[in-house]
Amino acid sequence: MEGPPVKMRKALLTAVIIALILMVSLISLREYYVAIALGVEVLLVFRRELWHLVRYRRFPPFDERVQENIKKAARNSFVYMSVATVFLTLAYALNIDYVVDYQPLQVISWLLISSGLVYLLGYIFYDRVEPKLRPPEVGRFWNFLRVAGIAFGSGITSIFLHNVIARLGVEEPVFFVIGVLLAPLAMGVGLVGGLVFFIKGLHRKQLPESDQTEDERTQL
Amino acid sequence: MKTRIREYRAKYNLTQEKLAELVGVRRETILFLEQGKYNPSLKLAHNVAQVLHTTVDELFIFDD
Repeated sequence: MEGPPVKMRKALLTAVIIALILMVSLISLREYYVAIALGVEVLLVFRRELWHLVRYRRFPPFDERVQENIKKAARNSFVYMSVATVFLTLAYALNIDYVVDYQPLQVISWLLISSGLVYLLGYIFYDRVEPKLRPPEVGRFWNFLRVAGIAFGSGITSIFLHNVIARLGVEEPVFFVIGVLLAPLAMGVGLVGGLVFFIKGLHRKQLPESDQTEDERTQL
Repeated sequence: MKTRIREYRAKYNLTQEKLAELVGVRRETILFLEQGKYNPSLKLAHNVAQVLHTTVDELFIFDD
């Protein structure tokens, strides 16, 4: 059976090779900013592995907790990408000017960047934030994100319904108010609330063992 | 879930880093295990118990 260092090396190499291929493809397509963003993202995700490699001349263990965190972050990113793709397809199908004005490559680039960002934030959340939040706080964090997601979906739907009804020649204010005022407001509240808990967990102090004195360690 | 890893680790004068090295995980994983904020696999729980010369039942306390 393969040990953790072999698995780690394989995973890192695979990720770096895929990132390099993507970067070369993006540079050849003259999408420099996306290529830079991708490079920075890879460096951010593997910063700890790279630091360990420089400091100890070996990879840190690719243990089950890390694997679980990566899996959860990848799942979140995939869900985000699927939902965003559905909305974009809908926008193209409905011929919404604001979206159709962009080149498909630009849309795909931003889709990749934003889903990469979701992956990165997810990894940081499961790895750094969640363990430092109390269970009710984790619940509130997800509730805020749910509010933001529902607000986003209902906003788009309301605008679509408002436009459909308007084309029938009926002036209606309900979907307009939801789409233009209430949904963005709720989305703002959801995002800000989620961000507050994210930052709270990220900065909450947790006494690492390296900060304890030898006496404290032996007194345990 | 509560654990007695910290107690047993002190008994054998092991640091988190040393225990992590012995069971093949990161130090942070031991930290989260001690805080009861990570559910380990059966294999990891078994390995930790073996290194600390005890049983899984003795190390992990589940609140029903």
